[in-house]
Amino acid sequence: MEIRPIASALMRNKSALVLIALQVAITLAIVCNSVFIILERIEKVNRPSGLDEPAIFAISSSGFAPGFDLDGSMRQDLDAIRSTPGIIDATAINSIPLSNGGWSEGVSDKPEGTPLKDRKQESTSVYLVDEHAVKSMGLELVAGRDFTANDVTVRTQEDVGKAQSIIVTQALADRFYPDGAVGKTIYAGGLVDDGRPVTIIGVVKRLQAPWVGWDKVEHSLLVPLLQQGENQARYLIRAEPGQRDRLMPEIEKKLGEINSGRILRDLKSLEEIRGDSYRRDRAMSVILGTVIVALLIVTGLGIVGMASFWVTRRTKQIGTRRALGARRFDVRRYFMVENAIVIAIGLALGVVLTYGFNLWLMQHYELPRLAWYYVPIGIVTMFLLGQVAVSGPAGRASRVSPAVATRSV
Amino acid sequence: MLKMKNLSKVYRTHMIETHALRGFDIHVREGEFVAVSGPSGSGKTTFLNIAGLLEDFSAGDFHLDGIDVRGMDDAARSRLRNEKIGFIFQGFNLMPDLNLFDNVDVPLRYRKFDAAERKRRIDAALGRVGLSSRMKHYPSELSGGQQQRVAIARALAGSPRLLLADEPTGNLDSLMARGVMELLEEIHSQGTTIIMVSHDPELAARAQRNVHIVDGQVTDFDEEPRFDAPAANTPSPVAAPPQIA
Amino acid sequence: MFRYNLWLAAVSLKRNPVLTALMIAAIGLGIGMSMTSFTVLSTMSGNPLAHKNELVRRVQLDNWGAEQPFREPNEPPELMSYRDVTNLLEKGEAQYKAASFPNVLPLEPAQRELTPYMIQVLFATGDFFPVFEPPMRYGQGWGKAEDRDATRVVVVGHETNEKVFGGENSVGRKLRIGGEDYAVVGVLGPWNPQPKVHHVSNGAFGGVEEVFVPFAIGIEKELQSSSNNSCWSEGDDDDATGYRGWLESDCVWLDLTVQLKDQEQVAAYRRFLDDYVREEKKAGRFPRELNNRLYSVSEWLSAQKVVSRDARTQVWLAFAFLLVCLLNTVGLLLAKFLGKSSEIGLRRAVGASKPQLFAQFLTESAVVGVVGGVLGLALSLLGLLALRTLYAGTSQEELAHMDWNLVLVTMGVALVASLLAGLYPTWRACQVQPATQLKTQ
Repeated sequence: MEIRPIASALMRNKSALVLIALQVAITLAIVCNSVFIILERIEKVNRPSGLDEPAIFAISSSGFAPGFDLDGSMRQDLDAIRSTPGIIDATAINSIPLSNGGWSEGVSDKPEGTPLKDRKQESTSVYLVDEHAVKSMGLELVAGRDFTANDVTVRTQEDVGKAQSIIVTQALADRFYPDGAVGKTIYAGGLVDDGRPVTIIGVVKRLQAPWVGWDKVEHSLLVPLLQQGENQARYLIRAEPGQRDRLMPEIEKKLGEINSGRILRDLKSLEEIRGDSYRRDRAMSVILGTVIVALLIVTGLGIVGMASFWVTRRTKQIGTRRALGARRFDVRRYFMVENAIVIAIGLALGVVLTYGFNLWLMQHYELPRLAWYYVPIGIVTMFLLGQVAVSGPAGRASRVSPAVATRSV
Repeated sequence: MLKMKNLSKVYRTHMIETHALRGFDIHVREGEFVAVSGPSGSGKTTFLNIAGLLEDFSAGDFHLDGIDVRGMDDAARSRLRNEKIGFIFQGFNLMPDLNLFDNVDVPLRYRKFDAAERKRRIDAALGRVGLSSRMKHYPSELSGGQQQRVAIARALAGSPRLLLADEPTGNLDSLMARGVMELLEEIHSQGTTIIMVSHDPELAARAQRNVHIVDGQVTDFDEEPRFDAPAANTPSPVAAPPQIA
Repeated sequence: MFRYNLWLAAVSLKRNPVLTALMIAAIGLGIGMSMTSFTVLSTMSGNPLAHKNELVRRVQLDNWGAEQPFREPNEPPELMSYRDVTNLLEKGEAQYKAASFPNVLPLEPAQRELTPYMIQVLFATGDFFPVFEPPMRYGQGWGKAEDRDATRVVVVGHETNEKVFGGENSVGRKLRIGGEDYAVVGVLGPWNPQPKVHHVSNGAFGGVEEVFVPFAIGIEKELQSSSNNSCWSEGDDDDATGYRGWLESDCVWLDLTVQLKDQEQVAAYRRFLDDYVREEKKAGRFPRELNNRLYSVSEWLSAQKVVSRDARTQVWLAFAFLLVCLLNTVGLLLAKFLGKSSEIGLRRAVGASKPQLFAQFLTESAVVGVVGGVLGLALSLLGLLALRTLYAGTSQEELAHMDWNLVLVTMGVALVASLLAGLYPTWRACQVQPATQLKTQ
């Protein structure tokens, strides 16, 4: 078609061409990579935790009164909570999932002395719970059995407890025993004091570690230990559907009445806790989204501005073309094609920039490679943006009267 | 070839109506060379614009090459301009960013010629105005006379039946002007109808027929060339074709 | 001449209001976005101890297990074991030695109307105050004797003093924490170092502890850190159990920062640490190769990657965005200035020199820059407000505050950016030859 003469005319105005093309290139690189990061964050935020999140809330208790009886108050508290109508179950727990604070431990399939090359080792989060944990969290037990009251022992500062059995997540079980983990043993130095292994009695489909940004976030252990140290206790409570918001203040009040020699704090629903933990990821997504929108607007308006100016500057040329037989459509098409050529040049550079930027992100931020479809989608978007942006000025150009050609100035 | 009857053109701006043409009658026959003259603001350019289908008219009849152009839509008028009319402008109106080849190519692009046909026509048109060797040059590298010859080549490339020239020598010195005039005469002698607007009596004198417009109406209509200006000031026509550098 | 140029710029900018608005908006948006992210980054990259950066040193010993480093590649733990901290508090020549760990304790206000609440407590040696220099409003810190005897003394932070003592000089009064009475010896003024150099393990930003008590009390009360406690093996061969065992283990949980007199002492302390580890190796500890660190504050902050990756990415993106905005402005200015070639030709013809024309067009760019800068400043304030909302409740919230330096930087960047953007179009415009412009059209 008429690409060659348009292109050669463009080459006579290199600076304008280069300026728009560079904008388009940088815009493509930023938009592709930012969308990529945003989608990655959204995926991260939307990962299931394995818990029945909408129904769960948590509360902590810190005793300060002299002679505070932690053991007694914990039993009283848990009895009171569990007997409240509308509560499904509750467990004592050392840290709340998604809360970004907890205990991590290195576990292995062989004893500590074994050389590293002969054994598998993995990091995992550790939840110290009682026999109500699986039900309280709403976990899905996929193999083996749940804890019973007999499994649970007490852990204090002096005594690490007598944990014999544990429940692991599927992800952790697969690392050690992909052919079935129930009945197998693992070594977890911090759980026992004599170097003996503990037995896997059950596997849950999913239970995330407390740290949402951790690369081993799917690795968790449930250990039947009641932790009693520093007069601290923490409860994870599951309400019946729709009852949570009503029960939260009620439980807080009830616990306060049981024992006033303590401070009740951190009464939060798991949804709130999740929101707090993922706030940075949300914020990053919003910020990147803002950058993308602002960038597209600026680039689009830049194209509008430049195109308008060139239309004004070339009014006489347009009139002449009209006089020589160009239809309105031909004039409009001229500007559209011109725009498409500029955008295409920018995009060619932009593809290089996009992958360069992605490579840099991969090296510095351990981001995966850009999926193949980002660039084509980005290219189509930028083309559409260019065509929409230029359509106004191009329309104006097409309305230039051919009589302009005979005007002397 | 071109026939206007009782044509009028009214410009409306706010409350003021300006009659650029009124009761305008003209009939240009096939193969004629007509010079149109008149004072500034008399309606010369309006006439040219309407004749070239660049502007619509308000009332009256206008047949171009036997076709009634009244009420024609823009696309049809564009096609008619492209196929039947060649334009030569006072300011040359070349595209500064295109070389000579591409400039001459402009009107051809709007026709369904294939690449070979376009090239043949461009070569022929540029050859006819003596600029074949400069195809790759840009307008800014040429003198005014050469630029106007490119414009003429552009007008000729589409083999128009009618050539409209608006003060074709207005921006040229007399030597260059004479060269351009020679070219127009040559084109006319090969059968193209030419309507030329000019207030230069010497040029007008070289046309077959002179039309004088005053206040949007044809006041003077003669069959034979004649001089309005004192002969003393008029240089004699040159016999040999002028050399335009 | 400047006023004439300014007037010409105003006239020219008013002639194309849409184009002018577009340029100002582009500069403003670019400046606003980059300054917003830059503010956060610059706060993150701050160093509250910059004035004695080289002399304040963070002590790190690699007491980790032989099989794996604490963190790849071969990084020693950022915290220390109790065993090494007590040894280093005794031995080694340094001006100050600040050891500390955080925890929470219940605070029972004397007033009836205030209910008990949990408070962040820093258990620290008395040297904490001269090393980290919190502003002491009333009283002072404590000395070696209180550290040794675990005397119940407390330095109260500004907010707690406001809340519990109504903001008055509370030195000498009693504060009940964790079921015991502490004598107030010092009261701090507002103190909010970013990053909080003394403890970065659980996030380097956000509020600091509100109450400071002697380190030895925390040990006496058998507390661990409420932040990170990391172990690589637990009680393999020793027979001590419980808290004793914890204190004798190689578990790391304590911050140790020393301040030295001069570079000579820094070098000497480095040698001392190496000698100390070699000595301990003879006793069977420190299975890894000698891998001690004695980072200055700035080295420490960069090794701990205190500046978040997100903040860095945001700054990169924001500056790329600014670049696009500038390219945009260059394009628009170029289109505009080239459209004035006849005016330029005329001015040249009537005697304007190239430098004079240069000044005229550069003034126009500068006006765009200044107005764009003001807009950018307003947008950065808005941006920071938005960031505070977005990051509400996280430690990042603290970072989004504008200061006056930044206002100046913003205006400077805007002006320089727009002058740069104006440079090429101006230069192109001034290449116009007076003769050619007057001849054609």
